[in-house]
Amino acid sequence: MTDPVAKEPMAENREKSAEFVPGQPDMWAFVMFEALVFASYFVVYMIFRTRSPELYLQSQARLDLRIGVVETLVLLMSSWSMARCVKASRAGAFRSALTNALFTVLFGVVFLVAKVFEWARVIRMGFGLSTNEFFSHYFFLTGIHFLHLLIGFIVLGVVVYQLWSPGRRSQELIETGATYWHTVDFLWVLIFALLYVVR
Amino acid sequence: MNARFEKRLLVVWLILSAITLVYLWVGSVDPARTLRPSAVVTSSAIVLALIKVRVIFREFMETRHAPVLLRRLTDGWVLLIAVCLLGSYFVGMAVR
Repeated sequence: MTDPVAKEPMAENREKSAEFVPGQPDMWAFVMFEALVFASYFVVYMIFRTRSPELYLQSQARLDLRIGVVETLVLLMSSWSMARCVKASRAGAFRSALTNALFTVLFGVVFLVAKVFEWARVIRMGFGLSTNEFFSHYFFLTGIHFLHLLIGFIVLGVVVYQLWSPGRRSQELIETGATYWHTVDFLWVLIFALLYVVR
Repeated sequence: MNARFEKRLLVVWLILSAITLVYLWVGSVDPARTLRPSAVVTSSAIVLALIKVRVIFREFMETRHAPVLLRRLTDGWVLLIAVCLLGSYFVGMAVR
């Protein structure tokens, strides 16, 4: 039987030498697929936007840019701690890896709360999914991203479960989980720019 | 964990956060003025976002150490998004 912990020194050294795919290649195939699906929707959004710019600009002005910036910063912090988790785990520092994984969960929860607060604010102002084209796109894009975030919590649960016990600790699974979580982050980076800033 | 990795990740996060804060300036709205379409603001917002995405790919997702195929795929996606978003915006504005 192979001891997963015994592999760690090799895992630690691999980024110094040979090229490697972080995590399972299947996750990368999924990420590329998701990226293309989102890319298609972004194009649809931009084309619709240019057809009635005034409507989009007036609606967009009701969003609070500062909330979007804070949400982005929080998600970037979660990605940072996830990247630290992967590096620590690769170096065999599993306690530090677990702490960083738990920080990732914490920042993810803060983003989730901020997003629910923002939706409540927008809905209280009288805007909903069917108010106009902009808000349909806004609720759809932020909603589908929110769904990815929720799936991300299951993925983070797997990472924490892996790190919890010395009997598990599969570096490949931890890297695979990290790849998914960073995808949630970079998709939000684009969604934020398109919904809150472009004119 | 290697201190070099710690420092590098910290610098990456600081860069990403700094670019995010630039949006407060790029996307600021003068309440006295009506919002107007702006190619400069739109292009800046998209380019800044794509710089951040590429940094996330390379540093947080570690494609910097990945085989050339994965590096090209991720770089290609960033380029594709740039062409699609800027292209649909400028073509859309020109033909409306």
